[in-house]
Amino acid sequence: MKQVWSVIRREYVERVKTRAFILSTLGMPLLMIGIMAVFGLVAFLSEQSERQIVLVDQSGQLGERVRQALDEAGYEVELAAPGTAAEELDQQVLDDELEAYILLDDATASEAVFHYRAKEPPGSVRSQLIRSAIVEEVVDMRLGQIEDGESVRRLFEGGSLEYEPVGLDEAEAEEAEAERISGMITGIAGGLILYIMMLAYGAQTLQSVLEEKQSRVVELVISSLRPWQLMLGKIVGVGAVGLTQVAIWIGCVALLAGLALPGLISAAPDLEELGQVRQYLPGPGAILLLLVFFLLGYFLYSSLFAAVGAMCKNLQEAGQAQTPLIIVIIVPFMMQMMTFQGNNMPWMNWVALFPFFSPIMMYPRAVMGDVPAWMVALSIVLMAVTVWGAAWVAGRIYKVGILSQGNRPNLRELLRWIREA
Amino acid sequence: MRLTGVCKTFGAHTAVDDLDLAIEPGTIYGLLGPNGSGKTTTIRMMMGILLPDGGSVELFGGAPDFGRRSRVGYLPEERGVYEKMKVLDQLVFFGEIRGLARSLARARAEKWLERLGLTEWASKKVQTLSKGMQQKVQFISTVLHDPELLILDEPFSGLDPINQDVLEEIVLEEKERGKTILFSTHLMEQAERLCERVCLISRARKVLDDDLKELKRRERTGVVAVEFDGEAPRIAWPEVLEVEQVGDAFHLSLDDGVRPEEILGAVLAEGVSLRRFELLEPRLHEIFVRHAGDPGDDDSVQPAGGAS
Repeated sequence: MKQVWSVIRREYVERVKTRAFILSTLGMPLLMIGIMAVFGLVAFLSEQSERQIVLVDQSGQLGERVRQALDEAGYEVELAAPGTAAEELDQQVLDDELEAYILLDDATASEAVFHYRAKEPPGSVRSQLIRSAIVEEVVDMRLGQIEDGESVRRLFEGGSLEYEPVGLDEAEAEEAEAERISGMITGIAGGLILYIMMLAYGAQTLQSVLEEKQSRVVELVISSLRPWQLMLGKIVGVGAVGLTQVAIWIGCVALLAGLALPGLISAAPDLEELGQVRQYLPGPGAILLLLVFFLLGYFLYSSLFAAVGAMCKNLQEAGQAQTPLIIVIIVPFMMQMMTFQGNNMPWMNWVALFPFFSPIMMYPRAVMGDVPAWMVALSIVLMAVTVWGAAWVAGRIYKVGILSQGNRPNLRELLRWIREA
Repeated sequence: MRLTGVCKTFGAHTAVDDLDLAIEPGTIYGLLGPNGSGKTTTIRMMMGILLPDGGSVELFGGAPDFGRRSRVGYLPEERGVYEKMKVLDQLVFFGEIRGLARSLARARAEKWLERLGLTEWASKKVQTLSKGMQQKVQFISTVLHDPELLILDEPFSGLDPINQDVLEEIVLEEKERGKTILFSTHLMEQAERLCERVCLISRARKVLDDDLKELKRRERTGVVAVEFDGEAPRIAWPEVLEVEQVGDAFHLSLDDGVRPEEILGAVLAEGVSLRRFELLEPRLHEIFVRHAGDPGDDDSVQPAGGAS
């Protein structure tokens, strides 16, 4: 057992030290923040540069209202003198003196149809901003002209479903709602983490096994260790690296929510609403369950990845051979994604019971409350049994595979390996 | 270490055929043979990397299980190293999985690195080392846990003469300390200098297996080398079948049953001053060639499976 510990340590230390680990650990959160920032920035900048707009009012009643509305939306609006001819402004556009102008006419006053005259169509942000500002003004104006305008407006806003929880007072209802949102966030994040970890660290196990086989280091190691000890050491070592990464991420979120957020709010009371974020964060129970699913799923997939690595000669071969495994990881993720979009069907819970799908499908369902507790428990038992079986099969393939230098076995040879090992 | 009737085939190719071997404790044993004759396959079976198709392998008086294998230091022909690990870390790791405590493994590794002139490379990644240096590192990992039996597969190939000497010195030292050493080689000079007993394998079969001195005596061809100070006498004795001049020396081939002393008497009777009179022993190389064919001619027996 001491030797297994040495293998685990070697695997862990050598991996945590690599640039790839440090980059991916820091990179994931930074990448997410970065992507959001870039999207926001691009939209902001593209609109920022073209904020001047000339408004021509031929309806005789909208000009000032629209000017104010656009002004509030952040545009510098110049209302053309009454009677300005559109042809004159068209000429300015053609001469590149003016980029665009907006023409309001009788159709605008009645149906909120207006004209944006320019050489180029407006960008998506710009057209959205301008349209909503103008439509709102027209609707306002028209509703002001009729009796009972206020209730018509509310009707147009789509009505509202007022959920009234029976048997819960207001505070309890609020709590239940927070729990639902929290489950949703935890479910999505947890499912994503499980999916990425299974793929990334399963593949790393494969690579690690293959490297040792290719360099024939394995022949040296195996003279002092049993094959299953080496395999176990590798899987645990690589898995510990994955857990470290997840722990760092969860720790960062906890740190942000626990320390940075209260600090920020006390410094800037305006941001007090941000404090609500905290009630949506997962509790220790959800994190513990994540750990259980991570461990079971990781052992299940990575032992099979190790077996695939052991039976291949090189990375190209392994790339092909691992396809079924990758599919078994991707398919449940896809199915779970459909559920996130609000399409859960009860029969999907049964699909999630399939042990190879459970690690990725069952966890989000469990924290979102989509599935009864007994099913979660059953899936854990089923997974545990499957892990045991998979480790047994993989161990045998591994034992024969790492020392064989021949071609990748076909299914019949593989069965013979498993039988004879 | 004892092999009895061991066989191994790869597909249609027979790599080792009905091989018996016995290595006595405390000796240096040479496993000789042309490339592809089955040396490495034999060694891999000794280490339990390959399982023999027939026959049995016995190590320290029992099956080669993990307990016994951990008393062996094995240097494989294909130098397997963790390329991205630092030299010292790698050695400590190998020491540990062979049962050494971490601190002891580190102390020993440092001592060995110093001895082989690699101290300044200790914290470099293995992949930055030259092939020869990597081989020395691997040799250290072979002896680090102070094994009772060293099994070295072509330990000298790829090393420069200076490092070959260092390695030879260490091998002899280990023997002095009571260790048993088995090594395979196709370099006859090395085997001749080091081995007490040699086994010659050719085309998967054992051809010779004997004490080196005994072997040489048996294979003696009855040639005497004589050198004179000053004028050489006319050599024309009935006992001498043939005379060949090699530089200053004369190689006299004696008739069957003629003892060298008789020739010495005849030479001295000539009244010349004698500088050298030597019973020529066959060189291992010649014995090798005589029994195995030219060691350079190895392509014809290269196995197809690549597992030489």
